[in-house]
Amino acid sequence: MKPNERAKYLEDYAESKKKGIPFFPDAIFKDAIAALIVFLVIVSLATFVGASLEAVADPSDAGFTPRPEWYFLFLFQLLKFFPGSLEVVGVFIIPMVALGFLVALPWTDRSARRHWTGRPVVTSITVFLFAGAIFLTVQAITAEPPPTADVASGDQIALLYSANCAGCHGTTISASSGTDLYKVIEGGTHDGMPAWNSDLTSIEIDALVGFILSPSGYTLFVDNCSECHDMQSLAESDSTELRRALDEGPDYAPHATLGLPVWREALTKADQAKLLNFLTAPDGQRLWFQECSACHGQSVAYSGDRKDLEELIRRGGGHLQMPSFGSALSPEEIETLALYVTVPSAAPEGAEMFGRLCTSCHATRVPTAPDLETARQLISLGGSHEDMPVWGDILTDQQIDALVDYVLAAAKLPNLDEAEQLFLQNCAACHGNLGEGGTNPTRAGDIIAPISTAEYLATRDDATLRSIISQGQPNFGMSPFADTFGGPLNSDQVDLLVAYIRSWAEDPPVDLPPDIPIVPQGARTAPALYEALCAQCHGASGEGGIGPAYDAAWQASKTDQQIFDDINLGHAATAMIAWGDLLSSQEIEDMVTYIRTLTGEAGQSAPLTYVSSILPIFDTYCAACHGVLGGWTATSYEDAMTSGDNGPVIIPGDPDSSSLVQSLIGTHPDGLVMPPAVTMSQSDIQKIIDWVAAGAPEG
Amino acid sequence: MQPAANDDRLKQTGDWLDERTGWRGNWTAVFLRKIPKVSWAYTLGSATLFTLVLQFVTGILLTLYYVPEPQQAYASVTYITNELSFGWLIRGIHHWGASAMVLLAILHMVRVIIYGAYKYPREVTWLTGVGLLLLTFAFGFTGYLLPWDQRAYWATVVGTQIGSVPPVVGGFTKDLMLGGPEISGLTLSRFFGAHVWVLPSLLVALVAIHLFLVVRNGITSPPKRDE
Ligand code: HEM
Ligand code: HEM
Repeated sequence: MKPNERAKYLEDYAESKKKGIPFFPDAIFKDAIAALIVFLVIVSLATFVGASLEAVADPSDAGFTPRPEWYFLFLFQLLKFFPGSLEVVGVFIIPMVALGFLVALPWTDRSARRHWTGRPVVTSITVFLFAGAIFLTVQAITAEPPPTADVASGDQIALLYSANCAGCHGTTISASSGTDLYKVIEGGTHDGMPAWNSDLTSIEIDALVGFILSPSGYTLFVDNCSECHDMQSLAESDSTELRRALDEGPDYAPHATLGLPVWREALTKADQAKLLNFLTAPDGQRLWFQECSACHGQSVAYSGDRKDLEELIRRGGGHLQMPSFGSALSPEEIETLALYVTVPSAAPEGAEMFGRLCTSCHATRVPTAPDLETARQLISLGGSHEDMPVWGDILTDQQIDALVDYVLAAAKLPNLDEAEQLFLQNCAACHGNLGEGGTNPTRAGDIIAPISTAEYLATRDDATLRSIISQGQPNFGMSPFADTFGGPLNSDQVDLLVAYIRSWAEDPPVDLPPDIPIVPQGARTAPALYEALCAQCHGASGEGGIGPAYDAAWQASKTDQQIFDDINLGHAATAMIAWGDLLSSQEIEDMVTYIRTLTGEAGQSAPLTYVSSILPIFDTYCAACHGVLGGWTATSYEDAMTSGDNGPVIIPGDPDSSSLVQSLIGTHPDGLVMPPAVTMSQSDIQKIIDWVAAGAPEG
Repeated sequence: MQPAANDDRLKQTGDWLDERTGWRGNWTAVFLRKIPKVSWAYTLGSATLFTLVLQFVTGILLTLYYVPEPQQAYASVTYITNELSFGWLIRGIHHWGASAMVLLAILHMVRVIIYGAYKYPREVTWLTGVGLLLLTFAFGFTGYLLPWDQRAYWATVVGTQIGSVPPVVGGFTKDLMLGGPEISGLTLSRFFGAHVWVLPSLLVALVAIHLFLVVRNGITSPPKRDE
């Protein structure tokens, strides 16, 4: 504004003021009414809608989908348009530009014009900014739910993505190339993103990486395609079509009238590959589902080497050499078959022929011929028919590599259901259904150690397992299983069994060694120690369990020295740890003597009493606190039976209602869990329950 | 007592006060000034001011019971909402008042833009207004964490993450907000401190300048088409 304009404005303003109204009471009155309306609206919202409160903050529950307050939604939404390294544009540059516009407004708009129609530029920028913010806000509010995967097509990865990632990341994530996505997902490297490794298996994480993977093809996409296409729809179209669009340029029908460049020349070969890799990530599993499973089904079978496979995929239809059936079949037979592959329902008898003649190559998928004549010809003449695209021309090298990797890996994946059947039929009788082992039916007093512990699996390689299964372990009563050694299984079946046993490694069904209970502090007599340490596996009276029974046969098979050594040194890879670390030699000697008194017959143990069985447990686990801290006092029979914050904690004869038992087994109504820091052994808990049930006798 | 005598007494007190404070001059300058004829759109600023006062009153009432400790924040808000008499109302007003204040401040700004009221001689008023808008957003952001529920926590996770994006200052901003590598009790104290001490002080100062300038320069008259 020039000085004269300024002066003129002040003059005009003074004039309009003179004709105006007094602030008090006229304007104030209006203000008061507005304030009242605002107040009423706020109070009714507060009353009828209220301020909600969700569950208390839980940093470990990453499943919660974050939502900012509505006035930040536009920013939140903006973020989604600028993923990855572009983030800074969305959350910083654009908002700063908008803020800059606001701050500088009085100095950028220096004309004397005040009516909005006189300031078209400012008015339109303002409208644009607000419309943008409103648009983004509305978009965020109505945001389409995360993409739901097409479950029918078996695309588990898309499902994983929508369940785990889409809540925060929207429909796509672009990671800057060079990011180790596997690590990011596994470890959850940025705030708010949890480490997924506890929720997802490594295979799932791998698959997600492939799904997300989008190298520098992103920029190419933005520069060349994004004007007309959104990422989602292009990524969903099939790769044959994508390649055609690139190859044919303006000749590609849908692009014909658009005046597009000839992509072949506009983009280098490397760039074309990057772009395609971006749109269809080089992830073998996804490629398989997208490109191959329509014809080859979901399971992958291939036995051959990598080079052949790659050749096969690259040449595609070129490899399909169908024999000519013209001479082998009668004209009627050819007619039936031709009819069957044209209109299957018209020739039901063709099914049997197809099964006999064609399934070895066509598997169960019946090809569809366009018409009878073609079918007739194809069958009689055979030869290569170009059903399978020449993938070498369509997929990028990376994609083919990934596909080959996947097929090879997947083809190796054994059929675990069948393997399980084999295991149950041949092995479970001695090794248990889960490989937990047990007493050895072929050798009295012997025990078969678990073969499904993490330790066992880690210390045997496949070759060792294979040879054990094939040749057996005659010394231990295991006969050879491979047909080459006179057993019932062929080598494929042995391999399957190895794979099955291996499959336990991810999550060993048998956890050993078991929780080692704390060694009783009080009486370290042999019977007390046996109760606390040995009875878990060998039974309270030596009747056996995970460990062998101390029955007559066992007693006869061992010398005292052997028993001493077994206890002192333990058995590698079993629950029998080297107890010498925990017990003194004297204690072990006493233990041997004690074990010699056991007969392995259950049920002969003395009745449970407070003095003999319960007091030591209370002393070990409870008395440290429940003696000095008040509440329940565990130090004498009298106190244990009568004290307690809300009356006695032991109700003789009724363990379920005794709050002592409830707190031990986790059913306490207040969620009380005892003992608080250590785990009491199952046998001790059982003993307390039995004792209470028996009327809680003193002694 | 006679009404006249009553008036007299009042006037005497007024005079006594005026001699010592000069209030009459200010009163006349602020309230009895003449202003151009204005439309309803001009009430938006005072409505914002009103919600601000409402936020202060309800906010201060909330601080009486609110405990800014991760272990207790949620429980104290639950207590306020469910047990404290009229606690639900106070919290409800503060909650919705926050939204109302943001909305009104934005509408008020739109009014100012449409009427060209940021122009000479009101450039500084405008600048303080922009500052007020930012402060209001900051209030909303810091207050949102305070209930310490899932929504509060995760929205702040995202919010602080966004804060770390700007180059150069990003890392610092984030450390400043979080007080550590992740959201913790320290974050809550910082947000509480900002929400209840820092931001209110800044806001009061800025509003004072804003209003002083509004009074000093007078309110714009709605521009005519040719203006
Ligand atoms: C906490 C937020 C705010 C409060 C309490 C507030 C309060 C007020 C009040 C009471 C007025 C008197 C005129 C009217 O009511 O329209 C006013 C005028 C003004 N406000 Fe604000 N305001 C706030 C935010 C803003 C914002 C965000 C801007 C712009 C970015 C702004 C710019 C102005 C300007 C330029 C005037 C002078 C208008 C004229 O003379 O016509 N204010 N403000
Ligand atoms: C000036 C504008 C203010 C805004 C925009 C604002 C905004 C908010 C918001 C959005 C919340 C979360 C409420 C909920 O979701 O339940 C909140 C909570 C809170 N605010 Fe404010 N506030 C303002 C002023 C104040 C002031 C001046 C104080 C105190 C001096 C205050 C104290 C509190 C407290 C203690 C809470 C936590 C209690 C609760 O969430 O229910 N606020 N504020």
